[in-house]
Order: sequence, then structure tokens, then C-alpha cells
Amino acid sequence: MKYNIYIPVYALILIATAGCSKKFLESTPYGQSTSADFWRNADDAIAASNALYSYLGDEYLYAHTEQTWDICSDDQWRAGDHPEDQAIEDFTYDPSNVQLNDSWARKYEVISRANAVLINVPDIDMDQTLKNRILGEAHFMRGFMYWLFYKIYGQVPLILEEDAIANNFNKPKASLDSMKLIIENDWLQAADLLQEQYDAANIGRATKGAAWGFLAKFYVYQENWPKAIEYGNKVINGPYPLAGSFGDNFKPDTKNNPEMLFAIQCTDGWTENVASIYYGPRPWGGWGFQEPIQDLADEFEPDDPRRKYSIAGVGDIIDIGGSSGPTAVPAGLTNTGYFFRKYNSWREDGGLDNNMNIPILRAADVYLLVAEAKIRSSQDGDAEINAVRDRNGLPDVENATMEDLMHERRVELAGENERHQDLMRWSKAGLINLPAHYAIPRGTFKPARTFNVPKNYLFPIPQRQIDLSNGVLVQNPDFD
Amino acid sequence: MRQSPLPRILLLCLIASCLSAFALGQSVVKGKITDQSTGEAIQGVTISVKGTNDGTMSDAGGNYSISVGSANAILVFSFTGYTTQEISVAGKSEINVILATAAASLSEVVVVGYGTQQKKDVTGAVASVKGSEIQNLPVSGATQALQGRSAGVNVVRNGGSPGNAGSIRIRGTGTINNADPLVIIDGVPAGGLNSVNPNDIESIEVLKDASASAIYGTRAANGVVIVTTRRGGYEQPSRLTINAYTGTSSVIKTLDMLDAPTLVELKKERYTNDGLPVNEVWNNPDNLVQRTNWQDALFRKGKVNNVDVSVAGGGVNSSYMLSGGYYDEQGVITNSYFRRLSVRLNSDHKIGKRLKIGESIQLTNSRDNALNTLSAQTGVIWSAIRFMPFIPVTYDDGTWGTSKASNEYGDINNPVFTAATTDAANINNRILGNVTAELEIIKGLKLKANLGLDANHYTAKNFSIIITDQTRTNNNNELSRSFSESYSLLGEYFLSYNKIFADKHKVDVVGGYTAQSFNGDYFSAAKRDFINENSNQRYLDVGQTLRAIGGNRTYDALSSWFGRINYDFDKRYLLTATFRADGSSKFADDNKWGYFPAFSAGWRISNEQFFKNVTFFDELKLTGGWGQLGNQNVASLQYLALIGGGHRYSFGNNTVVGSTQSRIPNLNISWETAEMTNIGLTAEMLSRTLQVNINYFIKNTKDMLLAPPTVGTIGIAAVPDQNVGILRNQGLEIDLTYRNSAGAFNYSLSGNAAFIKNKVIKLYDGNYIGSVFYGRPNQEISRTYEGHPIGVFYGWKTDGLYQTQDDIDKDANIANDSRRTDGLIRPGDVRFIDLNNDGIINEDDRTILGSPHPKVVYGFNANLEYKGFDLTLFFLGNAGLSIFNADRMQGLDPTYSFNMYAETKDRWTGAGTSNTIPRMTTLRNNLNYRTSDMFIEKGDFLRLKNAVLGYTLPAGLTAKVGISKLRVYITGQNVFTFTKYSGLDPELGYTDGNRQINVDYAQYPQSRSWTFGLNVTF
Repeated sequence: MKYNIYIPVYALILIATAGCSKKFLESTPYGQSTSADFWRNADDAIAASNALYSYLGDEYLYAHTEQTWDICSDDQWRAGDHPEDQAIEDFTYDPSNVQLNDSWARKYEVISRANAVLINVPDIDMDQTLKNRILGEAHFMRGFMYWLFYKIYGQVPLILEEDAIANNFNKPKASLDSMKLIIENDWLQAADLLQEQYDAANIGRATKGAAWGFLAKFYVYQENWPKAIEYGNKVINGPYPLAGSFGDNFKPDTKNNPEMLFAIQCTDGWTENVASIYYGPRPWGGWGFQEPIQDLADEFEPDDPRRKYSIAGVGDIIDIGGSSGPTAVPAGLTNTGYFFRKYNSWREDGGLDNNMNIPILRAADVYLLVAEAKIRSSQDGDAEINAVRDRNGLPDVENATMEDLMHERRVELAGENERHQDLMRWSKAGLINLPAHYAIPRGTFKPARTFNVPKNYLFPIPQRQIDLSNGVLVQNPDFD
Repeated sequence: MRQSPLPRILLLCLIASCLSAFALGQSVVKGKITDQSTGEAIQGVTISVKGTNDGTMSDAGGNYSISVGSANAILVFSFTGYTTQEISVAGKSEINVILATAAASLSEVVVVGYGTQQKKDVTGAVASVKGSEIQNLPVSGATQALQGRSAGVNVVRNGGSPGNAGSIRIRGTGTINNADPLVIIDGVPAGGLNSVNPNDIESIEVLKDASASAIYGTRAANGVVIVTTRRGGYEQPSRLTINAYTGTSSVIKTLDMLDAPTLVELKKERYTNDGLPVNEVWNNPDNLVQRTNWQDALFRKGKVNNVDVSVAGGGVNSSYMLSGGYYDEQGVITNSYFRRLSVRLNSDHKIGKRLKIGESIQLTNSRDNALNTLSAQTGVIWSAIRFMPFIPVTYDDGTWGTSKASNEYGDINNPVFTAATTDAANINNRILGNVTAELEIIKGLKLKANLGLDANHYTAKNFSIIITDQTRTNNNNELSRSFSESYSLLGEYFLSYNKIFADKHKVDVVGGYTAQSFNGDYFSAAKRDFINENSNQRYLDVGQTLRAIGGNRTYDALSSWFGRINYDFDKRYLLTATFRADGSSKFADDNKWGYFPAFSAGWRISNEQFFKNVTFFDELKLTGGWGQLGNQNVASLQYLALIGGGHRYSFGNNTVVGSTQSRIPNLNISWETAEMTNIGLTAEMLSRTLQVNINYFIKNTKDMLLAPPTVGTIGIAAVPDQNVGILRNQGLEIDLTYRNSAGAFNYSLSGNAAFIKNKVIKLYDGNYIGSVFYGRPNQEISRTYEGHPIGVFYGWKTDGLYQTQDDIDKDANIANDSRRTDGLIRPGDVRFIDLNNDGIINEDDRTILGSPHPKVVYGFNANLEYKGFDLTLFFLGNAGLSIFNADRMQGLDPTYSFNMYAETKDRWTGAGTSNTIPRMTTLRNNLNYRTSDMFIEKGDFLRLKNAVLGYTLPAGLTAKVGISKLRVYITGQNVFTFTKYSGLDPELGYTDGNRQINVDYAQYPQSRSWTFGLNVTF
């Protein structure tokens, strides 16, 4: 508090000098950089690349809101206590549904951070390998965000480097072709620039494998089978073997095994795994959202060990730590009797373990995408399907059909936000009749629902964004 | 339990009175008071000892008797309509006084910027509130006490949490951004005024129009509040005054919610109506047992205690006023409180004949905690309204009741638990003071200097415990502490000159330079994992894991040149011209300086020759003015693109932080300008018993600064304030005062009303400005549109409920709505109006539903005095406004897993059963509870804000024990309220800056309090 003594002195100086001193009215951004004095060196570039990831685990980005779209599927009941989820599950959502708007600006924030890297990092004088990695991460992340937009809304405004420079943010929706082009280009560039693997200090950054895996998925969605197989095989032949045990993917100790191509990294005491709270049963410290239904449990083959790793049911023994330790799931713990165990682990001293990661893309998914590309282009997809089945001790399938593949994807990826999207693309391809599929009542927690084609293939653009755009953004068909 | 300080104070009084009786050498002065013209005795004249609170009144025979502490005391004789006289006792024991009819009661002096003016000479709009009017009210600060005192000075209460001062709005909401007026305390621009003990206040002046406030150009766009604290007088004996009061407060009302059996019945009905199996938990017979009314469990009896002591007096060359006070308010919810310790020393010194030095110093320590009552997910009152009634506060084993068992019970934590385990405090130590010097260079020419300091040390503490047994758990306990220091230095020098030329030309000039700097320094730290949560372990040393450390510094500055000329010709024509040049660090170099002129003129019609024969008016003055004022009250450095760090992530379990742009720059950010025109009429009539003051104004705020919600494609970086549009406030203000007496009965009645219209004239981008969303479903309620007031309610219109399927089939509103054909709309659902006639209810059918702004804000005050008794009744009211009852919107909605309003007992259950409360359902297919006119209510209210009944013991009696004045009183606050509003409290206030007002979130309601107090002067 020493300088308080000098306050009277300051006061006098102030009076004596203020009038003639221009400096008196100059403010300084203490402790903050301006864009003019950032982007100086590799450290700044790394800090900017870290910021690409830091928002993914936000409650209203990938930790919860992006998970909401799969409550439409036949795998799960919304549970929880967000009344707006009922409209999403029942396809009665309107453009004001809060979930639609929640992740909108947040995804664009990640895009904005990626654009800033792409604009500024090329001019930094730094190690080229590191620079490539950082530019690759930015392309990867921007492609990932536009991919999420593409799946949910179809077309959205494309904000790229030149728009960020020109402060051009209120744009109309881009064409579907430009949406696809930017996603493909970003991921192709990411695949070029990124590294295959990282040291322990950087594990979890986007890799070539993650970019290849997403490209394989992107090409499957475009029904571009040769490219899907080409990029999928890069993953299969790359340093991304399946984990020895399916469950290793969902345990804090083995969360970064090579199969996990991309996941949101969480560390207890530093960041919070909000997805874990949402999915966890209420009496066990979670909020009890998104519960698997019996229909999904029935899909598993009787001896499939994936069932108990994916969804815990009554009687399964779970170690919830603390004074309870290993505990049998009691009846009434959740409404449906099940919860998605993939997202939960408990600390030794009790309470949900924030060291769990939130999975986004696994090599096993890519194996099945390659299998699907092969089957749908009249090739044999057995090898890839059986690679996924083998580690679970399940018998091989022969001459696998799309039916086999659909089953395998459903059980392998249960709760990983693929099911509704898979069903929709199979429906668009005429492989299934989705309105009929969703019209089947599946017990108390999944009564028959009306799925309107093509209306419900997309979600509406958030009304808030349409209102704020003052006429620039146009609503998706059938929602206005 | 805290002991009331009152017994101690009484003891103190007793000792002090014994001592003073012997020590101070009391003597009694008597006399008779007569009217100069009639020679008749005057009853009711106030006789006071100057510089003290001692006083008495003349009886029916004009006789008085008063005890004085010193032979040198000066007695002040005052009475409405007569010129006040001051007479030195000079050892006499009998003083007879002849009072002359006042030439003008407008000779009262009012404080204006950089000087004082006689009321009769004021050409701007200035409201004045005497400290005596607001003393000893059971409120934490003068802001609350200002409510309703003067037309156009509106105090918007933002709930009733202890220490929550509310927002002062002068002449409407002047801008969509920060519309708080500038507060000047004894010459120092000093932010909030609630650190000042209200009992230290001599007067509060509110400069309302441009002409009056332009001298404070930089920050005067939203008006100026000038607080002057009490000072000692020269040649006054020392006087000791003690004020003490104590009382209790309680919540005025609670909402009726469903009891457990009815709630279970309705919860089941939701499922059966939807053809779904009833969730098992509703068949649990234990849930039929009514255990807790959660609002009753949450609300307690609050307490308020105040003690303050002051000593004032002076010698030939020095005078002083020293006071100390302690105010303690415990709110109606556990752990909500406000406490303030304050010390003030004001003194004045004459050094030689030409130099005067004065100083004012205030030291305060305040400590408060406010619970979250604005969140529609975790707010404690919101939670209490909704928590399941079959859950007990605590179970038999002593653990807290919890909703954890099922998500049918809502994601709410036990609100009593939340309030009881809150451990948070904000502590503010403040030094506010200044030194002034005045040097008379030649007669009439004075050089003045004012050096001020406002130094604040804020500390905040928040300890969050581990929560495992509630629905919202907390895995890690955490203590966060923050320390921040802000100090503001003020330096100003100005010259003033006044002279009367040729008898008729009176000139008063002031001009000078002022500069103020604002420095802030901030530090915070947080740690986790406290093995022991005992209160003596809640210190950072104990935490095992470092969570965060942060620190920062801020700097801003203002500097200005200003000048003002007052010219008075022959006491008939008055002219004022003001000019100010202001520089602010808030703007980039090219936009730093703003220039603000103002002019006003007055015509004292009653001094005209042709008016000499008009006897009806004792005084009549017409004034008019125009001026421009600046506003720069926005965040600093918005012309820079800032990069913010600290974004957390980890790779493996290696923690990292990231940096990204935290604010988009606005290179062109510049001054917001308020342009104001004022026309005023002041009159005194009926032998000066009736005073009338009428003002009409138009205030246009241009280049309004605001950071509007913007398209999401920008991301989440802070959007800078932009000069977004033009706002107009125009209105009429009326103040009336009538004072008279009948025998020993003195009374004064005063009333004020302001009719103010607020309208957004232009928004530069042509779109609307949004506001915050309500609750988890993010319901939009308020928008700001061109051509409408700020923050109008926006949503759907309704027309009752569908009674039959036939109603639905034939309804043109939904003729083309797929929800109708899909069977998603059922009888018992709300009929929304299809405003665009496309046969579909969707977002295109929204419209403006109502305005939250009152058409009139009024106050009414009655003071009655009879012998020793005094009674004050103070009413205030708002009329012509709407409230959006968002809490009810959610409270009726059966799709939430919460308890519901008891009104749902009268829900729709079949044709003709209800046209207002929709059917029970778990589905949101018709969105019955979207933002609509169903939840708009009239927000008019009239409130007996204060009722004070006091008795002053006869001076002759108390003088024997050395007490010159002893008054006891009881005060009621919020005694009763007339309103049709159905929520907890119609005074809801702002919930998103100025963009949202009068939306009911179940805010902390105002409470009713009763206090008993006494006031002793030795």
C-alpha cells in the first residue's frame, strides 16, 4: 500500500500536468495483448492453437448440446428435465427450441479462433513443422465445426478468413456444394499438415488419423465409396490399432489409446467433464439425461461384452468409489433401467471422475465406415467388421450385408451420436424406411413418432439467428 | 444471535445525560414571538439552536422555551412564509422576536455544480430534498430514501435484497446502456451514494435538465445527484446527537403453490392425458404427505439496527462535524445482509481574512451478501417456489432434504440448504474525501481548489462446499478470494467572480479546469480441495489444489475545461450559459474530445411592474433552457482488439492454456450525446403556502452507446459498444407543496408526479435490440424496437383455450398448421392468434405485447405536527405499466418437473372448465407456455412506503436531565400496497441493464418492516 502515501503527491502532479499532458488521457490494456502485439512467435501460435480445443467441452457445445441430436434415434430416451428435449425427440421442434441456438455461436467461436490462426500464423517466423501442425489443427477444427453444422442444419453461413478480416459476419447461408467443399478441403489440408502421432505432452491434438477418419466419414455421407475406402484404409493401416479391450476407450487410465482418434480431453481439477454429469444417474452424482432404452439393450448379442461397457443395466456391478465402492445398479436408479456407461467413471473417493474424456471419433468407427463403403460398392467388408467383432470374442460374420453392418454400427457406437445420423443417411439412400422405423412403438420410453420426409432430415435454423440477421438468414424449408 | 444494540445505547444515553447535565452548563432561554405587521403571537415557529438538532416550537401564545448549551449559542427562528432570523443568545435568558413576512421563501439556497444559487435565481430544473426528510428511515442508503421524493427522479428498486440500492433514473431511462446519474458527494464525483450514512446528509440536490447539469458535462447526460453532508457552524457550542433504531422485517406475501396430494394428482394427470404410463415415482404413497411449504421454510424474520452518534460545533475560526454510525440489516433470507460502519469528519477553517480551507473525510466499511435470486435455474426464491412439497427440509437423520431420487423432482437443490450453506461476502473499505481551499483575491473574485480522493478496497470471498446429496452436486470444495483496489484522484481549480453593476446587472461567472483519474488494481486466487470444511479452515493456505490466480490493472481518465455565466437583469431577467470541453480516455485519439454547450433563461414575472397588483401570486417564474450533455460511461479500450488468455484445456493430463481474441474493436466509438430542452414554471401562491413547480422536457439521446446482441457467426468474443441509435424521453413533471397550520396543528402536504414517455426514435441498423432470455428454455421476453419504448414485451397473442376438437378443426388460426393435422393440438390447449393470416402459428406471429414503463410515477407526502407529536405518511406509486410474470409462465407449465402454482387446480379438464389455465400434459407440442400475453399483468401499485409516528418530549422536561431534545418514534416501511399484480412484489426493476425491466424472475421481494427508534440531542 506504499503508493497510497504518494497520493497527495500524485494529485498535485495530476493537476500540474494533466492539462498539457496528452498522456493523461491515454489508457493502457494492462495484462492483455492487443491483436497488434500478439502473433509474435511460436509461443503465441501454440496458445492460439490451444484455444481451438478449449471450447469443445463447453456444456452447450459438444459436452451436451451436440449430444442432444441423437435423442431422436431409437437408442435412447431423452430423460433429464429439459422439457424442450421432448420436442426434439418427437420431431415437433420449432425454430425457437433452445437447443438449436445454444451451440450456434459457440461453434462459430471455434471457427473464429481457427480463422485467426489461419490468418496470422503463416506470417510468424517459426519452426515449419510446428507451424504446419498448428495450421493443420486450425483446418481440422474449422472443418469439424462446419461438419457439425452440415449434419444438423444442412446449410449455414460460411465464415472464412476473408470474412473475418472484413468483419463480414451477417452472411446468407452458403450453398450445399460450398459447405461440402470447405469441409473436404479443410480436412484434406489438415491431413497434409498434421502429424500422425504426438508425444505425451501433446497427445490429444488432432492427428492425420483424425483427419483421415473424418474424411472417410465425410465420403461415406457423400456415397463416394472409393475415397471413403482410401481414407479409411489410411487409418486402418496407420498407427491407430483398435484397443485390446473395447472398454479401454472409456476408462481414464487408457483414454488416449491409439484407437481414440479424437476426443475432448478432460483433466480433473482443471477442466470439468460436463458430458459425464449429464449422462450420469442422478443418485450417483449425475443429472440423468439420455438414457438407453430396452430396444438398444436387446440389440446386443447375448455374449457381447460391449453391452456392459456401453450401457449399464440393473444388477451390473459398477465401482462408484467412496464408501459405496463396487455397487450393483439398483432398480430405479434410472427411469429406463439403463445409463450410458461410456461417459462415466467414478473417483476412488467418490464422485464423478473428471479425467474421463468425451469420445468424438474412434478407429472402430472408421473400420465400420470402410466396411460399409465396401458393402455398398459390392465389395467384401467382412475383414473390417470382423476386426471390430473379434476383440469382443464374437463369431465372425461372412458375406456381411448392410443389415449386419447396421447392427454392428448400432452396438459398437451406441451412445456416440452416430445412430440418428446413420439412420437418416440410410433412409435417404433408400436402405430403410425411416418414417416407418420411427413409427414403431418401442415401449414406454419410445412411443411411435411421426418423422416427416424431407422436413425432419434437417433441424431449423435457430429463430434467434434469423431475427438477428434482419432478413439475411433464411429458414430451412418446411420450418417457416 | 446478535444482541440488539439498543439497551447499550440507552445506557449510554443515560450516562451521557447525567454527565452533560453537570458538565455542559445548560441554560434556558424563553421568549415570545410576534408578527411584524399584525403584532399577533405566532404559533408553531421552529426555534432551533444553530448547528445542532435541538429545537422546539412556539405555543399558541407565541411563547417558547429552549435550553441552550452555551451562552454563545445562536437561535434560529423559522416559520413558513416568514424570513428566518438568527439571534445570538449572548448570555440573555429572554429573547422576544418579531418575525417579518418573507420577501421570498425562494431565497432558499440550492447547491449547483461549482457553487450555490438562490432558488429564485435558478433557471434550470433542480430538485432538492432535505436530509431531515430521509433521516432514520430503515433503509441502507439514501438512494432508497430518494424514491418518490421528487417528480422525474425515479428510483427503480431492483428487488429488496439488503443493501441493494436500486437504480436512480432521472427523467426516464436516458439510454439503453448505463443510465445511472452522476453522484457527487461533497464535491467529489464518487459513484454510488450508499456508503454515505443517510443521517449525515444535509441535502440532496438533483440537477435534472441540461442547463443545470451541463457544468458536469462529461457525465451529466443522465442527470446529477449532489449530496451535501452536514457540517458544524462557526461559533457554535459542541452538540452531541444520538440516533438509534431497531426493528424487524418480514416478507409481505408468498405465492400459493400446490400441496403434495394435489401435486401428485396433477403430475399423474399429465401422463394419463398423454396416454403415457404414469412414472412410477408418482405412485409412491410417501409423496402424498405434505411436508414443507418451501417459501415459509426459506423466509425468516429480518432485522434492522442502526446507531449513529454525531458531535458538531465550532469556534471563531474552525468548525467541525464528527459522526460515526453502524447500520446492520439482516434480510428475510438467511445469509443475505448488509452492514456498514461509517465515520465522517467535516471541518472548515478560516485562515486570515481571505483564505478558507475545508475538508470532508468519510471512512466506511461495508459488508454484504446477496443470494442469487435472478436465475430461473438456481435462484433461491425461484427454487423455493418449485421444490417438491413432500420433501422435508431435513430428514429424521438430520441430513438435508433432496430431490436427487428422481429427475421427476426437478434439477433443483434444497433452497434452505443453499441459503444456509452459502458462505460469501463482499467487503468494501472506502476513503472518500476532499480538501478545498478558497482564496478571495479581490472582493468578488475567488480562486478555489478542490482535491479529492475516492479510494476503495474491495474484497470478496466465496466458499463453495462439496455437495454430494443434492441434485446439483459439487465434487470439489473451493475457496475464491479477490482483492481489488480502486482509487480515483480529482483535481480541480476554478475562479469565480460576482459583482452587481449599476444596481441592476448582477453577474456571476465561474470557470476552470477539472481532471479525474481512475485506477484499478485487481488480484484474485482460488484453491480447491479443503480436507476440512470447518469455518476456521476456510483460508487459502488450507486448499490443496491451486485453481486459479488472476490479476489485472485498469486506468481511465477524464479532463475538462468548463465555464458558466449567470446574468441577472433587474431581478427580472435571468440568463445562464455554460460550456464544457471534455476529454475521455475511453475513446481513441480522434474521438477523445467532446464539446457541450447549454443555455437557459428565466423571467421572474412577479417582479414585473405590471404584476405588482396581482396578489394571487407571491412568486411566478418562467424558465426555459437547452443544452447538450455527454455520456462516456462504457468499458475502456473498446477501440482495441484485445487478446485474452487463460482458456483451459489439457493434452493427456497435461494442462495448457490458450489465447484468443476476446473483443472485437470499434475504432469509431465516440461520445453519446443527450440534447435536452426544458420549460419550467415556478409559482408561490396563497401567501406562499402553496408552491407549484411544473417542468416540461424533451431529451434526445443521440449516438446511444450499446453493445447489442449480434449474429452468432461472430462467435463469443465481446462485441464493442457502438453508437447505435437515438432515444427520446419527454415528459411533464409536477411538484406541489402546501404548508399551513391551524392552531397548534402544523401540516404540510406535498405531491409529485412525472409523466414520462420513452421512445426509441432510431436504431441505425434498422433491426431490434434483444435482451436476455428467461429460464432454461431461453424464452425471449423483451426487445427494443424503433418507435417504441426500451424493452417492450414481445411474443404471441392468445385468445383463450380450445374447448372442443371442433374448435380446433374450425379454427382459422391453425387451418394450415401441420400440428393440427398431425393431431398435436388438443382441447385444453391455448388458441394463439395467427397475426399474418397464413393459417400457421409460428415465429412470424409474434408482436409487441406491452410496455413495462409506467405512464406516471408519483409520490405523496403528508407531515402532520401537533404539539410534540409528528406523523409522516409517505406514499409512492406507479401507474400505467405492464409486468411480464415470467415466474407464473413457468409456474403454470406442467412440462417442467417442478411444483406448480396453486391456480393449476382450476386447470382445463373438459369443455367449459377453464379458458385460462391449459390442460395437464408432459408434451410441448402446442407450446402453451411460449411468451404470450397470457402472462402480462397490470403492474400499477400504490404503496404506503413509510409511516412515521414520533413524539418529542417537552423541552422543559428533558432539559432538566440535560437533554435538549428527545424524540421517540416508530416507523413502518412498505406498510401496505394496493396492487392487482399477482406476483410477490410489483417492484421488480431491471434484469438486463436497461434492456429488460419489470419481468418477474421471483426477485428478492421488498419486505415490510417496523422499527422503533429514538433521537437524543444533548
